[in-house]
Amino acid sequence: MKQLLLGTLILVGTVVHAQLPVPALYDEWRRVTFDGVVTRVEWVNPHAYVFVDVRDPSGAVVNWAIEIGNPLELEQRGWTRTTIRIGEAVTVEAVPARGDAKRGRLSSFWKRNPRTRVFNGLPRASASESRSPTPRWPDGQMRLGPPGGRKGYWGTASVSTMKESGSTVSVRADGLLTNVSDADRVAPLQPWAKALYLYRQRTLLKDDPSARCLPPGGPRQFQTANGFQFVEQRDLGRILVLFGGGNRNWRIIYTDGRPLGQAAEAVPSYFGSSVGRWEKDTLVVESVGYNERFWMTNGGLPHTEALRLVERFSRPDLNTLRYDVTVDDPRTYTRPWRSAWTVQWVPDRDIEEFFCEENAESTFIR
Amino acid sequence: MRTRALLAAAFLLFTISITGQEGHPLTGTWAGDWGPPGGSRTHITMVMNWDGKAVTGLINPGPDAIPLTGVSVDWGTWTVRIEAKGISAEGRLEDIGSYHRRIVGTWNQGGTKGDLKLTRE
Repeated sequence: MKQLLLGTLILVGTVVHAQLPVPALYDEWRRVTFDGVVTRVEWVNPHAYVFVDVRDPSGAVVNWAIEIGNPLELEQRGWTRTTIRIGEAVTVEAVPARGDAKRGRLSSFWKRNPRTRVFNGLPRASASESRSPTPRWPDGQMRLGPPGGRKGYWGTASVSTMKESGSTVSVRADGLLTNVSDADRVAPLQPWAKALYLYRQRTLLKDDPSARCLPPGGPRQFQTANGFQFVEQRDLGRILVLFGGGNRNWRIIYTDGRPLGQAAEAVPSYFGSSVGRWEKDTLVVESVGYNERFWMTNGGLPHTEALRLVERFSRPDLNTLRYDVTVDDPRTYTRPWRSAWTVQWVPDRDIEEFFCEENAESTFIR
Repeated sequence: MRTRALLAAAFLLFTISITGQEGHPLTGTWAGDWGPPGGSRTHITMVMNWDGKAVTGLINPGPDAIPLTGVSVDWGTWTVRIEAKGISAEGRLEDIGSYHRRIVGTWNQGGTKGDLKLTRE
């Protein structure tokens, strides 16, 4: 029995600490470059790895684990699981992990025979797709999903972090401020919220609930990797939002005319309680009832259960979704504020399988 | 029965480990104790809530509850000051990113001073 309990606790520890946010795990200020031979390729979610044997100056062989990115994104960029083969001689430039672990995050990758830089470019939508008109239902209403008879989903957001519209503050893709003294310019934070935001920034986002595979609630759901999809169930008066990333969850937006509940009456949840209405070609969604268990942006902007969001979705053409959100949380911010970005359409593909919890690093990182 | 209890405890630990409260750092229920050096310890349960303008709350909720009359935080040092009838306490907020963050400091009550340890439940 004790063994069973111990096993359970070890499993708990493994799941909870399965992943650290990138800034907490890797030392972005350092680079390592080495030649070696590929010994193993792990084409797995959420991060694919290549393992490389490297001979150190003393002649000893050390095996490095190189994180090369999310396999679904890699496939969109031209990588496949056979792009790199076991036994190939390679040159790797990587951001090393903090501490002594022989582990890194890929910066550049060359095959040595012949010397070829492995393809790493983002595919772009064709010009004809960009010019394609907004798809519509027979009654003329804008469609949020693919045109009739076709496939597709919403993929990469134009920005991966969130700040107030109009702010020129420099924020890295992982959510860290280039200069933490700019915190006041990210959003109109109350003093406690600013202190907590700065704490999260200074601790390199190590406590991010998303890194523990908890749902990316609020606006963050539309900046999370692996995309999302709208399923408009018009006969049922609701729209399902299916998320390919995060913890691969779904959200319901009711469009059947029901009133928005009061925040105090709702069961606090990660995605809140949402009702939507169409204003010409814009879906306007109001939501309340959020819990306090998530960060609504990857940089760690806080919120309370008083959070109320008004989201506006529009689609000027087939290929572009405009997302505009107003954040109203008087317990956290000194005034309501807005943020906006666009999301790129991924045509003729379905969202692929992705599970955040899969392949906790301890199962295959030595 | 003992097996079930142990498994239930492990599950509870798991649940607590993966859920958190990421809003105002003081919001929630705190439990711990205070006491003078070498003296007996007195259990404390404290409930605090941020309403957007002030932290309100109770010490030992129930028939003998004591309302908090003032709670302030120095956000530069994470020092918390708590006032209630006949009670003043001051402590530092520690392990801020954890669900089980702590307040460690001193507690004054009825002319007796002791150390304070509170953990968010």
